[in-house]
Amino acid sequence: MSRRRKISEPKGKDEDVRVIALLATLGVVTIVGLAAIIVSPPVKVGPLEGEIAPDFIEKAYSGAEWESFRLTDTYDERMTLVSFLDTDCPHCWDEGATLSNLHSTYNNDVQFITIAVQLSISGHDSSRDEIEAFRDKTNYEGCYSGSQNCIDRPGSAHSWTYVDDIDLSIAKDWDVPGTPFSIILDSNGEVVWNQAQSDNHPNEDVEQALARLVG
Amino acid sequence: MMASALADPKLLLFIAGLIAATFVLSTSRSKPGVEGTVAVLNSSLLFATVGLASAVWTWIIHNQLVIGDASEFCTSEGIVQCGSVIGDPRYNNLFGVPWGVVGALAFTALLFLVLSIRMDVHAKWSETYTNYSWYAGLAGVPFLIYLIGVEAFAVHHICPFCTISHLSLLGFLGSVWLLRERRENKNWY
Repeated sequence: MSRRRKISEPKGKDEDVRVIALLATLGVVTIVGLAAIIVSPPVKVGPLEGEIAPDFIEKAYSGAEWESFRLTDTYDERMTLVSFLDTDCPHCWDEGATLSNLHSTYNNDVQFITIAVQLSISGHDSSRDEIEAFRDKTNYEGCYSGSQNCIDRPGSAHSWTYVDDIDLSIAKDWDVPGTPFSIILDSNGEVVWNQAQSDNHPNEDVEQALARLVG
Repeated sequence: MMASALADPKLLLFIAGLIAATFVLSTSRSKPGVEGTVAVLNSSLLFATVGLASAVWTWIIHNQLVIGDASEFCTSEGIVQCGSVIGDPRYNNLFGVPWGVVGALAFTALLFLVLSIRMDVHAKWSETYTNYSWYAGLAGVPFLIYLIGVEAFAVHHICPFCTISHLSLLGFLGSVWLLRERRENKNWY
C-alpha cells in the first residue's frame, strides 16, 4: 500500500516572534534616539523665560517696502525687545512714547522689534497702512480705534522694524495675553524676560527689566 | 554649492543604504519561493532603517537650527540644502512636532511590521502584517507629496536628507508591493 504524502503549508514558529520584533525595534529606536539627543539635545521652544523664542517669517516694514522678515536672522550681539502692539489699542497709543524713550536709551545694546497685531475686539480694524502710519507718525485717520490720527501718537517716530501680525499667528505662538506686551530675548534668542511671568520678577516693568538686564 | 551638499559623507552613507536596498530588491525577483520573499523582506528592512535614520538625522538638524547653528550638520546655501527647509518655522513641523520625529515614528512602525514578518515568514499573521505595511506606507504618501510641494513651491530649496526619507518610503512601498504580489501569485514560500 502506497503512502501519499500530503503537502501542507509551512507552519510558523511556535513562539510569537512579534514580541521579539517589537523589543528589537524599540531597542534600535532607543539607541538611535539617545544618540540623536546626545549629538543635538532638543531645546524647548516657547515664549517662557528660559525657552528659545519661537521663530517666525512674516512681512515687515522698516520704513520702505514690506519685506519678508525672519526673527532669527536679526540676532546679533545685542538683546532683543519684542513688543506686541495693536494700533487701535489705547494703552499701545501711550506705549509708543515709552518705546521711543527706551529706544533712545538702549539703542546700542538692544534691538527693537514691534509685532503689530489686531486684537479681536470691536472697533479694532488695523491695516498695513495704519501700521506704517503708527510707526512713522504720519497723517492717517484710523489709529486708537479709528478715533485718532496716527500722526498724533505720543513719542517720536519709530525707526525699527514693525512686523505684520494682523492675523495673530505670531501672537498665538507667543501666548500673548493682550497688548501692549513685551518679551526680552538674549543674543541667542532665549527668552530672559516675559511680562506675563511677573512671579519671577514682581512689580518689574519693561523699563526696569532692561535696566537690570542691560545695566 | 549643490556639489558640496551632495558630497556630504553622511548623505553618501544614506544614499549607499538606498542603493543597497534597491539592489537586494532587484535580486529578489529572480529568486523563487521563500528565498525570494526573504530577500524582499531584507530590502524592506533596509528601506525602513534608512528612512528611520534619515528622519532622525533631520531631527538633529532641526534641533541645531533652533539654537541657530547647523553648519556642522548641513549646508545652508544653494538650492540643495537643509537650512531653508528644516529651518523654516512655517513648514518644519506638524502641529508643533518636528517632521523628523513624525518620520521616525512612522518608520519605527514600518520597521516593526516588516521585522515581524521577516522573523517568521510562515506565521499566520504574516499576510495581515504585509497588508498593514502596505496601508501604513500608503498613509505616508500624502505627507510626502505635501513636503515635496513645500520644497518645490514654498521654500524653493531641496533638503537632501528629507529626500532620502521620501525615497525610503517609496522604496519601502515598492518592496511591500512585491511582497503582496508574491503572496497573490502563490510565490511566498
